[in-house]
Amino acid sequence: MTILLSISWRNIWRHPARSGVLLGAIIAGLWAGIMVSSLTNGWIQQRFDNLIQEELAHVQIHHPEFLTEREPWMHIDDTDEISAFLENDDRVSSFTVRTLSDAMIQSALTSSGVQIRGVDPDRERQTTTFHENLIEGEYLDAEVRNPVLLGERLVEKLNVDIGNRVVLSFQDLENDIISGAFNITGIFKTANAPYDERHVFVRAEDLYTLISDRPIHHEIAIMLHDQTESDDLAADLNQQISGITAETWYDLSPELKYITDMGGSMTFYIMVVIMLALAFGILNTMLMAIFERMRELGMLMAIGMSKLRVFVMIMLESVILTLTGASTGLVIAHLSVNYLGRIGLDMSGVGGESMAEFGYDAVVYPIAGTNDYVTTIILVVFTAIIAAVYPAIKALRLNPADVVRD
Amino acid sequence: MPVITTRNLSKVYNPDTVPVHALRNVTLTIEEGEFTSVRGPSGSGKTTLLNIIGGLDKPTNGMVVINGTTITGMKDSKLIDFRLNNIGFVFQSYNLIPVFTAYENVSFIMLLQKRSKNEMKARTEELLEAVGLGSKLHSRPRELSGGEQQRVAVARALASRPKFILADEPTANLDTASAMNLLDMMERMNREENVTFVFSTHDQRVIERARRVITMVDGAIDSDVQQNGDRKYAEE
Ligand SMILES: Nc1ncnc2c1ncn2[C@@H]1O[C@H](COP(=O)(O)OP(=O)(O)OP(=O)(O)O)[C@@H](O)[C@H]1O
Ligand SMILES: [Mg+2]
Repeated sequence: MTILLSISWRNIWRHPARSGVLLGAIIAGLWAGIMVSSLTNGWIQQRFDNLIQEELAHVQIHHPEFLTEREPWMHIDDTDEISAFLENDDRVSSFTVRTLSDAMIQSALTSSGVQIRGVDPDRERQTTTFHENLIEGEYLDAEVRNPVLLGERLVEKLNVDIGNRVVLSFQDLENDIISGAFNITGIFKTANAPYDERHVFVRAEDLYTLISDRPIHHEIAIMLHDQTESDDLAADLNQQISGITAETWYDLSPELKYITDMGGSMTFYIMVVIMLALAFGILNTMLMAIFERMRELGMLMAIGMSKLRVFVMIMLESVILTLTGASTGLVIAHLSVNYLGRIGLDMSGVGGESMAEFGYDAVVYPIAGTNDYVTTIILVVFTAIIAAVYPAIKALRLNPADVVRD
Repeated sequence: MPVITTRNLSKVYNPDTVPVHALRNVTLTIEEGEFTSVRGPSGSGKTTLLNIIGGLDKPTNGMVVINGTTITGMKDSKLIDFRLNNIGFVFQSYNLIPVFTAYENVSFIMLLQKRSKNEMKARTEELLEAVGLGSKLHSRPRELSGGEQQRVAVARALASRPKFILADEPTANLDTASAMNLLDMMERMNREENVTFVFSTHDQRVIERARRVITMVDGAIDSDVQQNGDRKYAEE
């Protein structure tokens, strides 16, 4: 075996240029493959984090019809009962309650339709990371009457600024229109520009005192220690508490579930395409290597080298060549992923800003796990073996009597 | 027991289209220790005969017995193994693995035979020394002259301790001096170690060195004579 390894290794370097070109292609191909898939993974993970961590959480509770009808009176009946349940459940990491309303926002100049998200500043901060999106001013715990946070887009659209007053108009529980004056204390910017235009944040208390004579909440967002338990918790809530619907993040955002699933298969398809290209490169190189060595291979079989050994020798040649390229490519990819994982890849130059319209960050942090590298190596070795089968069989078909003749 | 026996060997190429009778009824016996040359005009069947004796090609009719074992009809994989352990080959060219040194080319065949490391090392050095390449153990084939390469090939053929060595035109690509040099070396191996050689050639000077000369014409043995009469062979 060692002798076969040694003969294969030296055969590879018979034509440094030819092997070098294939090595270069393998290195570039795998590097590109890992980069594309790790950037895709990073993007999806960021999208996932943005949605889950900033707002959605893992499980949400609503009045059964609230999400479709969005009527103010469709609030959760007994928030206290649910709070007690959640506080005693080990799966729950934290939760927060929200009062929601569709509204019209007016500045001195213009108006716009928005959704008001009334939150409990402390609990919201413990449960989600929305507060990290604040780019200017103060969060809702500011010592101001009726504070409101606006998205950057909306601030531009309404031509207002921190310290300005806006009027929010919405329906109360009896469907009468109520208006309230709110003071802009902060401006936020998420990865999703349209979201920033359509949402404003106020204190839940400030909102429900205007529409009801007692505290009411439309939404409870729950973060779990382990998101895979989302299903279980939602099922338990639906079973044990009446008059509400608990849904998981993937019920609430099937699109997020879809891209998360898609991401995996996309990486797979990218790799398949790269492997196909590699397979042709390897096939070509190995065929050339076999054709020019016909006489030598015939001689080896004539003097007594078994077909199995000849076959293994050719396979080894392909696998060693490919593995050399693959490991180099993966090391470079790993270094690139690590580096970009720290500083991020700014995509705004290549249209990344418009990605914000769809809720994707302009700066992407690639993610590649050990798994990705291992899978790639396995795929590559597999490809090298498959691509060398045909050349190897061609070699075995040689008739030494014909080959040793001059 | 003769080292090589062939009985009524015939070989027809392209039997269905334009049949070529490369061998006709060749019956031949070669004893241990012979130094035999097969001569004949181009196309007379020398290579075909050597290839069939060496188990590289199959006869259309007849059979080949090597040291008591009938190789005709043997399965390919068994035949490769048989060749490895019983027959040494020297071809006109492309004898050596270009990426291996002289030393590695010779020891390679013993690796295939799974011989011990110590034996391999000792025998490789001894053989390369014997063929006059003791100082070029680690040269690659392209760093050796044609004659030196053929001597490595003979050393390699001897390394496997075969029953005999088949050499098809081993001197065809060599200048006279190198050819004579190679012949000297083969003769010495034959005389000192009783190695059996069967070689084909066109070269009159090489033929003169043989002790038995088989002349092929048109696929058949035309004459079979002994010369340099220091040994006796059974007459056909
Ligand atoms: N594979 C083949 N297919 C068809 N005919 C062949 C084949 N190999 C050899 N022949 C023919 O068989 C005959 C004997 O060929 P062979 O090579 O044995 O002759 P040779 O005596 O070795 O000639 P040379 O001195 O040129 O090497 C020739 O007529 C040759 O054309
Ligand atoms: Mg010939």
